[in-house]
Amino acid sequence: MTDWTETYRPTTLSEVRGNNKARDQLREWAESWDDHRKSVIVHGSPGVGKTSAAHALANDMGWPVMELNASDDRQADVIKRVAGEASKTGTLTAGGAGRRLVILDEADNFHGNADYGGSREVTRVVKEANQPIVLVANEFYDMSQSLRNNCETIEFRDVSKRSIVPVLRDICRREGIEFEEAALEKVAESTSGDLRSAVNDLQAVAEDAKRLTEDDVVTDERDRTEGIFDFLDALIKEKNAEEALRASYDVDETPDDLLNWVEDNVPKDYHGAELADAYEFLSNADRWLGRVRATQDYSYWRYATDNLTAGVAASRREPKGGWTRYGPPSYWSKLGSTRGTRDTRDSIAQRVAEVEGTSLATARRELLPYLSTMTHHCSNRDLTVRMAGAYDLDATELSFITGSGESTNKVQDIVADAEARSAKQAVEHGGNAFLNASTSDSSASETSGDETTDGASETTTAADGDGQQTLEKSGTDSDSSSTAADPQEDGEAETSDDQSGLSDFF
Amino acid sequence: MFKAIVSAETLSSTLDSVSVLVDECKIHLEEDGLQIRAVDPANVGMVDLSLEAAAFESYEADGGLIGVDLSRLEDIAGMAESGQLVQLELDEETRKLHIQIDGLEYTLALIDPDSIRQEPDIPDLDLPAEVILEGKDINRSVKAADMVSDHIALGVDDADEFFYVNAEGDTDDVHLELTPDDLIDLQVGSAHSLFSLDYLKDMNKAIPTDTEVTLELGEEFPIKMHFGFAEGQGQVTYMLAPRIQSD
Repeated sequence: MTDWTETYRPTTLSEVRGNNKARDQLREWAESWDDHRKSVIVHGSPGVGKTSAAHALANDMGWPVMELNASDDRQADVIKRVAGEASKTGTLTAGGAGRRLVILDEADNFHGNADYGGSREVTRVVKEANQPIVLVANEFYDMSQSLRNNCETIEFRDVSKRSIVPVLRDICRREGIEFEEAALEKVAESTSGDLRSAVNDLQAVAEDAKRLTEDDVVTDERDRTEGIFDFLDALIKEKNAEEALRASYDVDETPDDLLNWVEDNVPKDYHGAELADAYEFLSNADRWLGRVRATQDYSYWRYATDNLTAGVAASRREPKGGWTRYGPPSYWSKLGSTRGTRDTRDSIAQRVAEVEGTSLATARRELLPYLSTMTHHCSNRDLTVRMAGAYDLDATELSFITGSGESTNKVQDIVADAEARSAKQAVEHGGNAFLNASTSDSSASETSGDETTDGASETTTAADGDGQQTLEKSGTDSDSSSTAADPQEDGEAETSDDQSGLSDFF
Repeated sequence: MFKAIVSAETLSSTLDSVSVLVDECKIHLEEDGLQIRAVDPANVGMVDLSLEAAAFESYEADGGLIGVDLSRLEDIAGMAESGQLVQLELDEETRKLHIQIDGLEYTLALIDPDSIRQEPDIPDLDLPAEVILEGKDINRSVKAADMVSDHIALGVDDADEFFYVNAEGDTDDVHLELTPDDLIDLQVGSAHSLFSLDYLKDMNKAIPTDTEVTLELGEEFPIKMHFGFAEGQGQVTYMLAPRIQSD
């Protein structure tokens, strides 16, 4: 059985259906490639004909094709060796002047284990290329920004039912299958813009039939991942609670990520009381996510999802409309950009926690804010000096707590004072313990040094004694047992020992 | 039908010549010998190999086509000691290749030839310059160039009549000139092309140092390298597309 999607794959661009504008852009790009020498990203949903168009283009232009797709091993070195070489080299037939089309299929999927480092290598290949490259991708934004910036972009839209039906009709004619127009429409309808699926479905229902009727078409709608932007639009503007929850099943994001998406975008459309309600649910969702983290019981995810989809949808009080520019969550980028500040905060909290005997979290949450208020802008100078001394803060940390500039004289002075103070305190708190050491000359300090060593050796002796004791014990044990076994011999040995000493002298 | 006995050396050098470019290949089992033609995944290098029936101790075939995993077959051929004979027999029923080496029997599952990359057409190129030199000079050039760069320029100076090799690295350069006295033969024509050293290095591995190698060169055109093996009863032609000279 041959696959109809292969049999009827377009061989020239003019046979590519449903995306006339994108198709013309692609041809234009190829024809003017010698002038701009840029690569192109062709993106769009699965099955709309991106890869077919790329191959058809190569065929039209008479360019040999080098294709690297997801079924190949795509580690960085393979990309460099194969795609890199292909994009820098002329052709076998026409040499340096010959063009070759390099097709990198599923270019949004160069990460993951097998393709580790692949994504970066693709960007490098694109930058250094001397041949036209087509990158084919489903998700435009899954590719790195540097890659996107280095390429032109052509979007392939979902193929409309109106464009799918003629394709199906054409295939039926060439396969010699009679058909009802309604049957084809039903097939086209159920695949929502995916031309490849439509052809596959047609083959499934029509391959062995001589005549295709509407009743033969029993294919159900197939699962399709919904884009996050479409989902946000539906959640925030249209769907009721249940619909919103159901729609979220088709979105390929974890509740953690979904929460960030919703949380960042809901205030763009919700206002006032409804926004407050929505945030109430989002906060609930966040608590469930916290429980998931704490218990590792992922069945709690359902409650998080309930809250952040159905809850948010149910909070809507006013009808929404129009178009809103939703954006990716800023949470991760905020985490990244506040990295330094958070590190400073945690390092202070760590020391506060040690000194005060609290947990790090308590120090951070309950102590730091008070300290910060009490020493605001170092206005209470004495207190600030004492704090800096107590927690051993440097200028950066002090400026973090008080809000005064790190390089100001005020802060520098306080740090210096705090150091002097803690040095003084160390001496005071030491009582007379170091009296000799600090006042007497070198010989005295030597003595005191000796003393310490003596003390140390004493302890060691004591420890040794302990050890020896046990050894002696065990020794005695074995002795006594041997004595018990042969007391006479032992006794003889003892006497002979004494005697031998004497006899030696004789 | 295919049944042949061949020396381990001949089999190994046949496979090595092809495996520098591809992992799998189709082998045509013609009546008068073997034919292999393959192009690498990047479509940059090509090999065309023929091994006459006379290179075998015995050879019987009637025009079949098999697909093999080259590294497997190389491993098996590597089991033979030098001078040993390898017996190959195709089982048409099971599509397996029975290999015997001094009592050791190995049954190799073949690959469906349709699943292997299409064989290339050999482009008909008119290359103006022809250089015939010893394999060891190629080896020397490639080795030296590899120390400084990832590509190499090969050319013929048609005014002063010499063949040259040029490699320019970021800091260091390598240059080699071979006059007609150093070469076996030189047919002058204007030629200068850049090539990837990765490929030339691999191809060089398969070129015996004591063989005569014929290079055909052009101006920014692919290079053709011909050489014989198995006492002249095997012929290999490599083709390599030139790097595009960007400035």
